[in-house]
Amino acid sequence: MPKIAVTIDDKKLDVDAGKTILEICRENGIEILTMCHLKGLTDVGACRLCLVEIEGINKLLSACTTKIAANMVIKTQTEKIKRYQNITCELFYAERNHVCSVCVANGKCDLQKLGYKTEMDHIRYPYLFPQCNVDTSHAWYVLDHNRCIMCTRCVRVCAEVEGAHNWNVMNRGNKVRIISDFDTPWGESETCTSCGKCVHACPTGAIWPKAIVQGQLEKKPEMITELIEKRKMNL
Amino acid sequence: MSKKKIATVWLGGCSGCHMSILDIDERILEVAKLADIVKCPIVDGKELPEVDIVLVEGSVTSDEHLREIHHIRKQAKALVALGDCAVTSNITGMRNYFELEDVFEAAYVKAVSNDKKGSVPNHPELLKLRDKVVPLQEVVKVDFVIPGCPPDADTIFYVLFEFLNDRVPNLSEVKKLKYG
Repeated sequence: MPKIAVTIDDKKLDVDAGKTILEICRENGIEILTMCHLKGLTDVGACRLCLVEIEGINKLLSACTTKIAANMVIKTQTEKIKRYQNITCELFYAERNHVCSVCVANGKCDLQKLGYKTEMDHIRYPYLFPQCNVDTSHAWYVLDHNRCIMCTRCVRVCAEVEGAHNWNVMNRGNKVRIISDFDTPWGESETCTSCGKCVHACPTGAIWPKAIVQGQLEKKPEMITELIEKRKMNL
Repeated sequence: MSKKKIATVWLGGCSGCHMSILDIDERILEVAKLADIVKCPIVDGKELPEVDIVLVEGSVTSDEHLREIHHIRKQAKALVALGDCAVTSNITGMRNYFELEDVFEAAYVKAVSNDKKGSVPNHPELLKLRDKVVPLQEVVKVDFVIPGCPPDADTIFYVLFEFLNDRVPNLSEVKKLKYG
């Protein structure tokens, strides 16, 4: 792979061309917050946490969907970025009903960890308290819309890795929801193979196995990355 | 240096945060050297006197809580929201997804344990629930928040001790941020 010169956080680096800014940062030990990124899946820039400043471009761009280019001068840790990350994190909490104390993912949740990383101690916005459904129709798994942050990792893992494309997205704005097939109960899905990949891809307690109690959820999203990489090796 | 005055108040919560305060165990003696605890939920029902620091557990769920929190704000130099209910409304806010009437029906009439004989209590002495539960910062200015359900005793002691020594605590810096 040809090498190009870039500057990230005042550090000059020779990096592979053709990769995204996020990939390059992770390879070089530069921490970038993400929720919707799962290594191996197509990046969509949904969560807006990986925003970076690039010299000469007057808006913030998401590191996961922006390809690195020669002579880019990138900043990842500015006050502006931190401010946006704080806002984004708080809006995740304000938009739906994230009650950590009754959640299966309590203590092992990526959204909680994000809160700690952005030093969020309270939410400055009024809570929306939307009425969200909980779909328990599947024999083994539950989908709880209260805890969903619309990262769409489940949608992508189902379409790209399992090839079933059971999950999709409907509506816009704060009415946006994950749906199974054409908005039918998950348990009646004709496409779902019950493989459980969406359960492990989900960064919060929105999708979880029934055989679990509060705070006991263990998710292994790295298993999905490993699977994708191993499939590539067989080709 | 004169002793500071501190108080703790229990609004719409489960008292778990107060249990966590008790869990600071013998460190309460350290607190007692620096401050007098002038009011807590187990003393009689007098109004809150003027205090330096007040820890408020629970969210604002009723007209009585609303009156009380405004009074607390006037009396306290520093108002600390203690626990997830006070900070985010937490479990107490889970009724906000529904109409208040439906919540009453579900609890007092339709619940199986009521044997179909239940009715919604409406004695004039009872406090009136507000339509929506709100965390403290939506109705008064809050000076410091301690999230957690409940917050760890260590965290509570840390915050108290810092305030009593005229320092401003920083939960993130000491890795004591916790929700749930």
